Amino acid sequence: MPQLDLDRISRAFGAVQALNGVSLSLRSGEVHALMGENGAGKSTLIRLLAGLDRPDGGQITISATATHGLTPAQSKASGLRFIHQELHPVPGLSVAENMHLDLPYPKRFGLVDWAALNRAARKALDRLGLGSLDPRTPMTALGSGDQMLVRIAATLVGGDGTPPWLYVMDEPTAALTTAESERLFEVIAGLVRQGAGVLYVSHRMPEVVRLADRVTVLRDGEVVSSRPLSETSASQIIEEMTGRQLDAIFPPRPTDKTVGPMVLRIAGLAAGRLKSATFDLRAGEVLGVAGIAGSGRGALLQAILGAIPRQVGQATLGGQPLRSSPVGTWAQGIAYVPRERRSEGLMLRRSIAETIVLPHLGALARAALFLNPTRQRQVAKERGAEVLLKARSVQQACQDLSGGNQQKVMFARALAGTPRVLLLDEPTRGVDIGARVEIYRLIGQLREAGLAVILASSDLPELIGLSTRIAVMRDGHLAEILPADGLTEARLLSRFYHRHQEESLSA
Amino acid sequence: MTLHKLLIGVAAAAGLGGVASAQDVAVITPYLAQPGTQFYVDGFKARADELGWTVNVIDTAGDVAAVISRMEDVVTQGVDAIVINVDPAQIGAGLSAASAAGIPVVGMDAGNDPLVAANVTSNGYAMAAETSVYVANRIGGKGRVVMFTFDPFPPVQIRGVIADAVFGNFPDIEVIDRITPDVSDGGIADSRAQMEAILAANPDPGSISAVWAAWDQPALGALQAIEAAGRQGEGIVITGIDANPQARDAIAAGGNFEASVAQDFQGIGSTTADTVARILKGEKPVQQVIYVPTKLITAANVNAE
Amino acid sequence: MITVMRRFGGLAGMLAIVLFFAISLPDTFMTLRNWLNISQQVSMLTVVAAAMTVVMVMGDFDLSVGSMASLAGIVAAVLFMQGWSIPLALLAALGVGLLGGLFNGIMVSLVGILPFVATLATLTVFSGLAYVISDGRTIFGRDIPAAFGDFARGGPNLPGGIALPNLTLVAALTVLVIWIVLEQTSYGRRLYAIGGNREAARLAGIPVMLLRLSAFCFTGVGAAIGGLMYASRVASANPTQGDGLMLTAIAAVFLGMTLTRDGQPRVLATLVGVFVLGVLDNGLTQMRVDSYVREVMVGAIILAAVGLSAIGRNGLAGQLRR
Repeated sequence: MPQLDLDRISRAFGAVQALNGVSLSLRSGEVHALMGENGAGKSTLIRLLAGLDRPDGGQITISATATHGLTPAQSKASGLRFIHQELHPVPGLSVAENMHLDLPYPKRFGLVDWAALNRAARKALDRLGLGSLDPRTPMTALGSGDQMLVRIAATLVGGDGTPPWLYVMDEPTAALTTAESERLFEVIAGLVRQGAGVLYVSHRMPEVVRLADRVTVLRDGEVVSSRPLSETSASQIIEEMTGRQLDAIFPPRPTDKTVGPMVLRIAGLAAGRLKSATFDLRAGEVLGVAGIAGSGRGALLQAILGAIPRQVGQATLGGQPLRSSPVGTWAQGIAYVPRERRSEGLMLRRSIAETIVLPHLGALARAALFLNPTRQRQVAKERGAEVLLKARSVQQACQDLSGGNQQKVMFARALAGTPRVLLLDEPTRGVDIGARVEIYRLIGQLREAGLAVILASSDLPELIGLSTRIAVMRDGHLAEILPADGLTEARLLSRFYHRHQEESLSA
Repeated sequence: MTLHKLLIGVAAAAGLGGVASAQDVAVITPYLAQPGTQFYVDGFKARADELGWTVNVIDTAGDVAAVISRMEDVVTQGVDAIVINVDPAQIGAGLSAASAAGIPVVGMDAGNDPLVAANVTSNGYAMAAETSVYVANRIGGKGRVVMFTFDPFPPVQIRGVIADAVFGNFPDIEVIDRITPDVSDGGIADSRAQMEAILAANPDPGSISAVWAAWDQPALGALQAIEAAGRQGEGIVITGIDANPQARDAIAAGGNFEASVAQDFQGIGSTTADTVARILKGEKPVQQVIYVPTKLITAANVNAE
Repeated sequence: MITVMRRFGGLAGMLAIVLFFAISLPDTFMTLRNWLNISQQVSMLTVVAAAMTVVMVMGDFDLSVGSMASLAGIVAAVLFMQGWSIPLALLAALGVGLLGGLFNGIMVSLVGILPFVATLATLTVFSGLAYVISDGRTIFGRDIPAAFGDFARGGPNLPGGIALPNLTLVAALTVLVIWIVLEQTSYGRRLYAIGGNREAARLAGIPVMLLRLSAFCFTGVGAAIGGLMYASRVASANPTQGDGLMLTAIAAVFLGMTLTRDGQPRVLATLVGVFVLGVLDNGLTQMRVDSYVREVMVGAIILAAVGLSAIGRNGLAGQLRR
C-alpha cells in the first residue's frame, strides 16, 4: 500500500511563514480533506507536492523513500496526479485525443490507430463508470463537469512508471454545477474503491462532510487538527478554521417576541421538481430549507419567485395572491439571491451599480421610464455600505470582485427594493469564511429589522445557526418543519433520509 | 498613429503622387464588374491617356446611392468632368450637385436627362434594322418568321418595334409567333422550350423560314431546339443582337445562326472621351445623344475581329 | 497612461484619419459643405446601424435589416404606383418594417431560434417578398412622385446659404430617439442587462421575452426608415438596393464598440463608427484612390481598429497566450 508522509514541512516567503512544521499522512484508499481559510497554506502545500516549489525544512517520504523536495517529474513518477479547478481542454480534439495529450498515440503502419486510441480511452472511462461518454465526441461538446471527469479518467490511460494512486484535487467543484459535482463525487468514490487516495482541498463544508474519511484543518500555516471525520463535525471544523466559537459566528437566535406578523403563506404548492409545500412565514423569522441535493430546495425558492411556473396551490404575500413571474413578484416585495451567482445573478462585465439597481430600475426612474443616474449611484453606494461591500467604487466591474464580495453585491441588489421576503439559495456557496461570517451577521440584522427570510442551504451548521425553523425537503415534498433551537447536525441529517434511514447510514 | 501610417503607405502604393494634369475626370459606375462596362472603361481610359488626363474610375459595386455620394465627393474634390454609367433618373441628387458646381456630366450608355450634357451609346433602332433587313433579304422577302422580343425592358423593346415595322413592310412575310421568353435564367433555356413547341406545331419542312431574336440568348435557344429536332437542314435563318462570344462561335460554325450585331463598346468609351474633350473645350453638343456605329457580324467577318 | 491609451486609442486612431485627410485635402475636406455631404451620404447607414445597436445591446443580431430596407422601399414605390398618397404609402412601409421586426422578435424570443439563424432566414424571406411585389423590376421615373425624390435633395437653409440635408436631419433625429431609449430610460438599461446575463436578468424580474421581442421591432422600423431614405435619395426602388446596408451597419457597430470602455455597443459610438466609414469613403474618393483598393483599405482599417482594441483590452501577451 503506497503512502505519502509529510514530516515537519516548513516554507517561508520573506517574513510570511506559509507552512510551519506541517505533518500529514496520505494513504491510498481514503479521501483526506484539507481545509482552511484563504491564506492558511493550502496552496503552498499543493505546490510542494506537485514539485513546483521546495520546502525550506522537513522531509517528504513516499513509499519509504525520503526526500527533502520533489521535482515535477518525481512527483508524477511517484504516482501523484493533480486535478485543478481550471480545465484546459483542446477544443478541436476528441475526448480520446484529449486523454492522450501527454502520451504517444497508438500507431498502426505508422498511422494513428484510431480504434486502439478510442479503445484505450473507453477502457479508462469505463473504470470510472463513465460509459455514457463517447470517446469520439469533441471535448468542447462536454460541460465543464464532464471535462473534469475526462481529465481524471485520462490519468488512468496507459503510461509507464508507478500507476497513479494519489489524486490531489484543488477546489474541483468551484466551476461545476450541483449536478456536475454529484457525478464528480461518484467518480471519487469509485477511485477510492479501486484503491486510490484523494487529497481533497475545499472550503465547502457539505462536500467535505460527505466525502472525507479524514479531515486536516490548517490555520496560519500550521495543522490545527487532523482526525477521522467520525471524530469531528462541521461545526468543530468551522471553529478550528476560524479560531472562533460558533456562537461568535452566528447571530443570536430570535425569541418568540421578536417574530412579527404573518407575511407569506404557501399552501399545497407544486412547481417543476417541487411536488408539494405548505408553510407560513412570519416577519422577523428565518426559515431554513434543508435536504439532499435534488430534494427540491432550490425549486421551492424558484417556485415562490415564479421563475418556474406554479402548477397547483396557493401562494399569498400579505394576504395578496403572489404573481406568477419574477417580474411581478419582485414588484410585490420578494427578493432573490440565486445559487449560481455567476450564471444566474451577475452581469460579470458590468458595474456593481448597474447590477444592484437592475431589478429596481422602474422604481428609481423619473416618470417610471427616464433614468435618474444620481439616485441610482446613491442607492448602490448606500446598499453596498450596508452589506460591507469592499470595492474601489460602485463603478467597478463585478468580475473583478472576490466571491464573497460578489455575493454581497447580490445581497445589496436584493435589499435595494426594501423587500418583505428574502429568498436565499446557498448564500455562502464558494464564499471564504471571513465574508461568510459577515453575511451571517447581515442575515441576523435583516431578520431583526423584520424581514422574513427563507434560507436554502446544504451547509448544516449554517442552517442550524441561522434558522428559526428548518423545513426538510424529501423527494420534492416539504416533509416536516423542525424548530432549529437544540437541533444537532446528526439529527437534522437523519431527517433527510427518514424513510430509508438504515441504508443511508450504512452507506 | 498606425492607421495614419497605413493610409500614407497605401496611398503611396496606389500612385497618388498627385501630378498636376490638364484634366481630371471621374468615371463612376455601379456595374464595373460586368464585362460590357469593362470594355467601355478600357476604351475611355485608352483615349484619355492619349489626351493626358487623370482618370479616376470608381465602382460602387451595385450601390446606386453610393454613386450619388461619390459624385458629391468628386464635385467637392473639383474634377473637371464626370462620366456616369447608370440611369440618370436614379441619381438626380448627384446630377444637381455637379450642375450647381458647373461640372459637366457625360453619360456612357447611361440614358437621357436634361442635366446630362450628352449620352454616348449604340443605336438600338439601327441594330434591329440591320438584323431584320438581313432576315428579310435572306428569305427573299417571303416566308414565315418567329420573333423573340422583350418589351418590359425599354432598350430591347425598341428593337422589337423596328423589326415589326420591317417585316410589316414585306407583304409576303408572315410573323407566325411573337414570343416573350422567361429571362430569369438568362433566356436560353426557356427560348429553347418555346421554340420546340413551335417546331412541333409546324412539322412540315419549310414551314418556318427564319427566327429573329432581339438579343442573342433566344437566338441560341432557338438554334439548340432546331438542331435537337434534326431540322437544321431546312435553311431556317436565325439572327441575334449583341454578338456575344457564344453567338460569335455559333456564327463561325456556319449553322443556322447566321448574323448578329456587335456594339462597339471600346468605341463608346473612346467616343465618350472625345465628347468630354469637346465639352471641356467649350463646344455644346448639337444633340444630346451621340451614336457610335455598330457592325453586322456574319460568317464572312466573324473571325476577322 | 497605458489605460488612457487603451481607452482612447481607438478614438485617437479615428482622429488621425480625419487629420490625415485634412492635411492631404487642405481645400476641400474640412469644409462645412463636405461634412454636410458626408452626413447625408451616411444618413441611411446611420439609421440602420443605430437600429442594429438596439438588438446588439442584448447580444443579438439582425441580419435582415438590409433586405428589410429594400422591401420597405419597394412597398412604398408599389403603393405610389397604385396612387396612394406619400404619407400613407410611407406609413404602410414603416408598418411593414414593424411587422417584419415583430416577426423576427417572435422567432427569436418566443420560438427561441438563434437570432443569427432566424434573421438569416427572414433576410431571404424579405428579399423574396421584395422581388415578388416588384416583379424584380426597378421602379423609377414617373412612378415615383417628384416630392418623394425631392425630399432627399432638399433641406432647410443654414445661415451662409448651405442647406442642411433633410436626410441628415432624419438620421440625427433617429439617433437622438435611440440614444434616449437606450441610455436614458429604464427600458434601455434592461436591454443592456439582458446582454450582460440573460438568465440573471430573468431571475431579477426583467421581462426578458417581451423586451427582446420589442427590441427587434425597433430594428425592423429603423431598417424600414433607412430603406425609405435610400429610395428617396435615388428616387427609385429596386428589390436589392438596401442589401449592402446590413454588413456595413454591423461593421459600424463593431467599430463603435472598440471605443466604449467595456466594449459594449452604444449608439453614439456607433455613430462615430458610421462616420469613420463615411469619412474613409469620402476622403479616399477625393484622393482618387482606386475603388477596389479603397475597399481593401476600409476592411483593413476595421480589422486594425478591432484588433488594436482587443490587444488593448487584454495586452498582446494576453492575446498570444490564448
